[in-house]
Amino acid sequence: MCGIAGRILGAPGKVGRDLVDLMEAQEHRGADSTGFAIYGIPRESGYVLRGMGFNKTQMDRDIENLKSTLTDHGGDFLSDPKIVSDHNRHYCFRIEMSDPVDLAAWVRDADTLTSTIEIQSCGRSLEIIKDMGGALDVADKHGVRDMIGTHGLGHARLATESSVLPNASHPFWARPFSDVAIVHNGQITDYFTWRDRLTRAGYQFLTENDSELIAVWVSDQMKQGLTMEQALKKSITSIDGVFTYMIATPDGIGFAKDRFAMKPLVVIDQNGELAAATEEQAVRRVVSEETDVINHDGPSLMGIWGVGNRSMAA
Amino acid sequence: MSEIEIEVGKRHIREINQEIQEACKSGKKIRVVNTLSRHNLGVGLPDGADITFEGSVGYYCGGLNTGSHVTIERNCGWAVGEGMAKGHITVGGYAGMSCGAAMIGGTIHVKGDAGPRCGVAMKGGNIVVEGKIGYQSGFMAHSGKIIALGGAGASCADALWKGEVWVAGEIESLGVDVNVIEPTAEEVAEVDAILDPLGLKDTSRDWRKMVSGERLWYFESRDASAWLMI
Repeated sequence: MCGIAGRILGAPGKVGRDLVDLMEAQEHRGADSTGFAIYGIPRESGYVLRGMGFNKTQMDRDIENLKSTLTDHGGDFLSDPKIVSDHNRHYCFRIEMSDPVDLAAWVRDADTLTSTIEIQSCGRSLEIIKDMGGALDVADKHGVRDMIGTHGLGHARLATESSVLPNASHPFWARPFSDVAIVHNGQITDYFTWRDRLTRAGYQFLTENDSELIAVWVSDQMKQGLTMEQALKKSITSIDGVFTYMIATPDGIGFAKDRFAMKPLVVIDQNGELAAATEEQAVRRVVSEETDVINHDGPSLMGIWGVGNRSMAA
Repeated sequence: MSEIEIEVGKRHIREINQEIQEACKSGKKIRVVNTLSRHNLGVGLPDGADITFEGSVGYYCGGLNTGSHVTIERNCGWAVGEGMAKGHITVGGYAGMSCGAAMIGGTIHVKGDAGPRCGVAMKGGNIVVEGKIGYQSGFMAHSGKIIALGGAGASCADALWKGEVWVAGEIESLGVDVNVIEPTAEEVAEVDAILDPLGLKDTSRDWRKMVSGERLWYFESRDASAWLMI
């Protein structure tokens, strides 16, 4: 059991605040860790890098090593690292950076450092913030309530199949595709089969969390030419297990549900804005009045919600 | 007779439920307002109370009911009336997953559609759904009746035991080990007697009654074809 949430605003605004409210309401669904994927105003060039380091005593050296992998690929840091650290052994960082020549190639090299430092997201607009603890703890620590954007995802984790670690929290970045993030509630039962196939195809997995697989799986299908709608639909029959996941890009949020109708998703879609969550009482935190609620309770469902001039694509 | 109003809002559910239990002792009608789709409202209600939830409620509303008359004006989340023994629950809108799960008596009346696994593992009582019942409704229902007036989703009555699923309207597909049988006039009259007090009796309905095929009972079948149904 985990709790997931999605939020789309009609215009850029305090999407961070809304996602914190959505996740605070679902904290009982998983208090191991909480995470947010926030889509801010997209930049023309350059990326925002979010990541985590695991040894504070060598933080400066590890960040310098990360920087040198980037300069080897023609990019550079455009800002000093903004570090967030507390009593935990890990620390988190946010860095603005210029474009490397080939993002995927740089990420592959940067991922050789993952024993000490790890990239959590890289996006023109996407920033993934995730950490141990409940929604309010994580929000306060990382200033999530003040983050401005158009849309985003949230997740409360109750770890089942993999370790309780800060980097095994959701959302997951679809490494190495920029600006793609996922949150997932469920269990993928053919995880190792798909992970083997995708690893042989050259993809890297930094955790043993099955949700990381979905992010890469969907992005890989889209790289092979499927639209997001086609990829979501295919995932329902190709991936085995019980799941409801939401995947976000700068253009919107999509969702897919397994064939067994085990994991709920409740949506309020009105006035050009959208709130989605595992539980109705959570979406009522951001839309308090009685209104029409869409219960995606059935099996084998999928859909896409666009940002901006919004329409339900499927 | 005056009515007791109880506010939900962001208060602790335990505190609200204690207040509801106290109000039940007064014999007055109870109206619970500003429900905000919160979970676990009105669980374990006593015999004889009359309680209305204004708006939508979350999971398990009216669960373990032992005889109260419960009205939910709009939608409810998962497992409304789970394990109820007696009483009546009306849902004005949509009932989420597992409506009436494991109930042993009483009636649940849903005016809209019901989600997947309506009546899962129920052991008695009746569930009447004016709309459509969702995927795999009636799953392993041991006893009681699920009556849907607006059709049924896929895998209907999957692995049914001694419960009955009655459907008027389209059925997307049947579950495993289910027989569709022609009901007798007496059996239809029994169903009409359940629908009549709800104002839903209509003798022109074309019923399909689903009962267990009994090939998977007790999980000791040596008939390979029975297992291949799963």
